[in-house]
Amino acid sequence: MAEVMVPIGPQHPALKEPVNFRIYVEGEKIVRLELDLSYNHRGIEKAAEERNFIRVLPLLERVCGICSHSHATAFVKGIEEIMGLEVPARGQYIRTIIAELERMHSHLLWLGVAAHEIGFNTLLMWTWRDREAVLDTLEEMSGNRVHYNMNEIGGVRLDLSEKQVEAAQQRLPVLEERIAQYVDMVSHQETMLLRFRGVGKLSKEEILKYGTVGPTARASGVDYDVRRDDPYLVYDEVPWNVVTDSSGDVYGRTKVRIGELSESLKIVRHCIENLPGGPIRVTSAPKAAPKGEILSRYEAPRGELAHFIRTNGTDKADRLDIRTPTLANWTSVAKALVNQNLADIPVIVAAIDPCLSCTSRMTVIDTGTMAQGSISWEELVRKCRARYGTEVQP
Amino acid sequence: MTAQLTMEQVSGALKEYGSAEQVRKNRIRVSTDTQKILSAIKAAQQFLDCDHLILISCTDDTGSFGLTYHLTGPHRTVISLAVAVPRESPQVFSVSDILPPAAIYERQIHDLFGIVFSGHPGLSKLMLNEDWPDGEYPLRKDWKPNKANSYGGAAQGGT
Repeated sequence: MAEVMVPIGPQHPALKEPVNFRIYVEGEKIVRLELDLSYNHRGIEKAAEERNFIRVLPLLERVCGICSHSHATAFVKGIEEIMGLEVPARGQYIRTIIAELERMHSHLLWLGVAAHEIGFNTLLMWTWRDREAVLDTLEEMSGNRVHYNMNEIGGVRLDLSEKQVEAAQQRLPVLEERIAQYVDMVSHQETMLLRFRGVGKLSKEEILKYGTVGPTARASGVDYDVRRDDPYLVYDEVPWNVVTDSSGDVYGRTKVRIGELSESLKIVRHCIENLPGGPIRVTSAPKAAPKGEILSRYEAPRGELAHFIRTNGTDKADRLDIRTPTLANWTSVAKALVNQNLADIPVIVAAIDPCLSCTSRMTVIDTGTMAQGSISWEELVRKCRARYGTEVQP
Repeated sequence: MTAQLTMEQVSGALKEYGSAEQVRKNRIRVSTDTQKILSAIKAAQQFLDCDHLILISCTDDTGSFGLTYHLTGPHRTVISLAVAVPRESPQVFSVSDILPPAAIYERQIHDLFGIVFSGHPGLSKLMLNEDWPDGEYPLRKDWKPNKANSYGGAAQGGT
């Protein structure tokens, strides 16, 4: 049978993110695929070279709408290492609490999306309801649901009050119970077993060969986890375990993420109960960093995130090279899809929890005047409506 | 996890490619040149058990481009192999055949810096839009948007 090319995306009901796949199929079976990630390139790496360390942090939070804390933390811990700053313990604990809450909200979100991809919308509703409890905690602590902006060079921006700690502590048992239910559910729920098992299988050898990271790698028995391998924040002081699985399919990736939910909850609880006193940041962080180069690694919810930072003695980074987990995981997706059914694309792609805004980064350029800048939400809405002639009268 | 690599082990295994330096705990950097990068990576895979490429970082060092291949393995020691690619002929061998994850990183670097990876199976656009002008590499330090060029998106005055 002849090969047929099926284009999918960048706008497609089965994909939540702007990516274009050109999928070559023979009948229902996928032969290979080509991908294009250019739809959301915002030029953040370039913009980061123009801003000082204080102004670059809010920008880096916006690399991703989910792992905002991951990017900011990866950057500040690199800069702090170059500056030789010792961050106070309380600051590091608060960073860890936010980081693990972020992982919980990300994994709950993923679980809902994966459930939705297989038509199990009840689970989507449940996990997203539970995710609200995590987001409420984050909002109470930082003032924001997603872009927490907690980091500063040398510590964190806000302290945790007794009241915030108490509120978080009250939510943890409820979340614990819900997570236990998901652990139980994944072991016997018919729909999940039928649609996840044996789908998108990758062996340990393939994972290593294609450079896959994060829960996708750990689901195939590759126990890479930066939190343990190259400890940062307070992961070497807190008791926790790296979660792995041997099945290597979407089912394994689900089990790993649910397992990590329990581990993250344990870490958050430990950090809250053992929150040390003292200052939350250094009293006077230097504005400029000495000349230096650092590879800052961070275990983001989707896997290993790497920021390569070079400083040149000024208050701006000379170069910031960001390698996001999703970019590392595309190679294995292309591999996992071969010989699978066309209908399994959504769930196999969703199984790496792809995040394209992280992967490609953009700035607005006026093609007439070549003026560069950002754009307000109202302006964007107005332009979109004007463009498509859907101006709504209030 | 196995024991961390020592400086002696790394400099022993990679001595013919360049001198090793311990940049911090658990990070060892080896500077080599573009002709030797393929065999240096092979040696790191074979003798130092490196099975994971963290990233290929790229910097614009004015006269040249700095490419650094950051590798790790069960020992969790990060081995960074650095090469300088001359600016006037930015060309280096692709390592995608011995290290498949490199393929996507090389495409990204090709888009943003214009380094050509010879032997790469498909060095097509990945990060930049399809109507981005050829020969413009936005992450080079000397790049400025050119008024005369279109960088994609809707044409002036709408379509």
